[in-house]
Amino acid sequence: MGLTAVARGHKPRRHRLASLYDRWTFLTIALALLVAGPLVALPASFVTAPGALADFSALLPGAAQATVVLLLGVGAGTLVLGTGLAALIAFCEFPGRRWLEWGLVLPLAMPGYVFTLFALGLSDRLGWSWLDVRSTAGATAVFTLVLYPYVYLLARSAFLAQGGDLLEAARGLGLSRGRAIVKVAIPLARPAIVGGVALALMESLADFGTVNLLGLQTFTNAIYKVWYGAFDRDAALQLGTLLVSVTLTLLLLERLMRGRARYAGGGSPARAPEPVRLRGVAAVAAVAGPLALIGLVVLAPLAQLSVWSAQAIGNGTLAPEFATAARNSLLLAGMSIALVLGAAVLLAYGRRSGRPSRVSREAVGLATIGYGLPGSVVAVAVIVPLGWIDHRLDDVAGVGLLLTGTVIALFAAYVVRFLALAFQSVDSGLARVPRSLDEAARGLGSDRIDVLARVHVPLISTALLTGALLVFTEVMKELPATLLLRPLGGDTLAIAVWRATSESLYETAAMPALLIVLVGLLPVALLIRLSRRVPQR
Amino acid sequence: MLGSSLGLIVLADAFVGVVLATSGGGDGLTIYTARSHYGDERPFDTFAADTGDDLTLFGGSAPELFERLSSEGDQTEADLLVTVDAANLWRAEQAGLLMPLRSAAVERNVPADLRDPDGEWFGITTRARTIMRSTERVEEGEASTYADLGDPRWRDRLCLRSGTSEYNVSFVADRIAKDGEAETREMLERWMANDPEILGSDVDVLNAIADGDCDVGFTNSYYLGRELEEDPDFPVAPVWADQDGRGTHVNLSGIGVVAATDDREGARELVEYLTSPEQQRTFAANNHEFPVGDPADTTEEITQFGEFKRDPIDVAGAGAQLETAVQMMSEVGWD
Repeated sequence: MGLTAVARGHKPRRHRLASLYDRWTFLTIALALLVAGPLVALPASFVTAPGALADFSALLPGAAQATVVLLLGVGAGTLVLGTGLAALIAFCEFPGRRWLEWGLVLPLAMPGYVFTLFALGLSDRLGWSWLDVRSTAGATAVFTLVLYPYVYLLARSAFLAQGGDLLEAARGLGLSRGRAIVKVAIPLARPAIVGGVALALMESLADFGTVNLLGLQTFTNAIYKVWYGAFDRDAALQLGTLLVSVTLTLLLLERLMRGRARYAGGGSPARAPEPVRLRGVAAVAAVAGPLALIGLVVLAPLAQLSVWSAQAIGNGTLAPEFATAARNSLLLAGMSIALVLGAAVLLAYGRRSGRPSRVSREAVGLATIGYGLPGSVVAVAVIVPLGWIDHRLDDVAGVGLLLTGTVIALFAAYVVRFLALAFQSVDSGLARVPRSLDEAARGLGSDRIDVLARVHVPLISTALLTGALLVFTEVMKELPATLLLRPLGGDTLAIAVWRATSESLYETAAMPALLIVLVGLLPVALLIRLSRRVPQR
Repeated sequence: MLGSSLGLIVLADAFVGVVLATSGGGDGLTIYTARSHYGDERPFDTFAADTGDDLTLFGGSAPELFERLSSEGDQTEADLLVTVDAANLWRAEQAGLLMPLRSAAVERNVPADLRDPDGEWFGITTRARTIMRSTERVEEGEASTYADLGDPRWRDRLCLRSGTSEYNVSFVADRIAKDGEAETREMLERWMANDPEILGSDVDVLNAIADGDCDVGFTNSYYLGRELEEDPDFPVAPVWADQDGRGTHVNLSGIGVVAATDDREGARELVEYLTSPEQQRTFAANNHEFPVGDPADTTEEITQFGEFKRDPIDVAGAGAQLETAVQMMSEVGWD
């Protein structure tokens, strides 16, 4: 079965009263508001301390300019690189393609700040004056290289789900294969591609590690200046609000670019398009390009980290806490998958399954903006209400700090911060399941939860795996929220890296950084195994 | 099916919560410390061994530890707060997170100008933030004051750490408190007119000088101590700035007792122990800082450059100027 383009989804049913009591709509909105709720602290700071930001007006023009320039650069970079690579892998055949298909995901496991340190060391050692990493262009390149996998992953699965029939049809109309891809396949994958670019942009908005190392004066950098330098949390939250408005603009643009159409792939596995067989120079380039990319972003930094680790072991500066830190990182990242992905499935399915309403759509949008905020801002937004509840609970029952003293607050922060990642994956997966299937299954007497478990989850397993992978690697790399909210004794690998790099002790930082990357590669390997079992082409 | 898997998730999360929550804590003292990135600091270990107390060190940077302490309030596990600059101690005191400690021993150990008059915090070590010069390309005496870094001769030869660094903000706030806004702004504008290269860390600045990318810089003294420990021929030397004026800018790393501690006695013992001359020396030697009791007594890597006059620390004065400092640095273009 091929691909159906359905304009404007399905028609709203006409039971107005019933819709008010629609459990799924209610559940979706409630969950979305719960996730977005803590972020109220951001705009609220304008009420509690109206003039705070005025003391730092000098920071704003520079921050706005640097942020916009960075977004434009990273947007263009990840769009071209991610889509190009996805098209190459999905539509062409050449030796080594199956390996590169997954190799290209590996940069996901590389924390941006670790790659930045490597790039700085490389440019210092090479001494090429034109290679200035400490510049806007340098930062754009660094972010593009580490973040393109978001676009690549989402675009690739969209291409695969399209199947070959439409491309064949386009060729039947006289288009060359290359033009058919550009004219038909890429526009059809637009929701996934734009979604991936949005994720990459939100991540670069929220980043502090890389921009601080490279001296880029973005909004997030300004937040740290006024909060950590001038101790003005209100002004920091107000800057955070401005950052949220940038994110909202991005999401709005994303929606506009998606357009009104919805695309649904076949319910049965799509028939793979006849691949373009590359030969000669083209085949060599198709292998060498991606290989060079993986070598630069993953293999070379890994080699550097290994050398430093060996030196650290030689000097005896290897700390024994790394084993505990690795266990903590692994546990936190693993559990986060269940929580964040669970919330994303409920939201995406709830919105699809409930009566389509503006309110639920906007609420879900709000619930994903945490990804565009620095982790420390999210952490403070979470700790304030949870701390308040904690103290009230303690007053009543004398139980101590149940929420903020344990991993619960940390998981709450992870959900707020990373929901967008899981949601994008799940939602673009669900979008390809035709609605007729929901209707049919329900017509056969299944309730919605049953339909979700027995129809949708199996159909979107690749999307679920992608979401799980994204959440896992992000939590492994996450620093600021973990630093603030972890329980006593809950140090992670990222914290061990921070500790050493904040004093420029790169050899000491190497081993935990190496472990972050290696452990982050585990889910990638798992994803490869699982998805190979599902015949895709 | 979904219900049961949700149940499983909740159970498993509760399990992790228990695992992580119980692997720290305990009955002993808990210290929120911003010094955790200086590596293993022996005084904490030896105190634990001597007293049999269980010490839990919880690392983080001071602003994060502050948020955590304020949120935890009277339920906090923390008994003590350690920071690497005076401003963060001042801020915790302002927010009512610390309590006064009266101890004759501590007052003997820590000079009056390096502790809070109300006894809410005490310095352990000090560090100087001063000019660094290449020993290969810059003669001794070519720059002797902070203002000298604005001399046109350093055009394209000056390296600075980014204006995001709290150490730089503290320095500027201190200058504003003592010299006034106009004079400080003029000095910074002249620095910026030299088109300094802005780098991410003090270590980067020192390495840039050693590699010949710049000739002078501005960093904390202990970073140079570390470089010289690794390589005695590292071609950079400090210039103890403003010796004919107020003296070289100094900041302190210190400790305060958390107001909500449930072990005042234990906390007092630890502060007495950590500020004892011997333990100050150990702290200082480990990181090439200066003990507060005997400011000249540190490692050979630093003492070889001679003694110097220190600009008296005025924590409250600088604390009040932090916002002005951030705004001013941004206006003059210290990114």
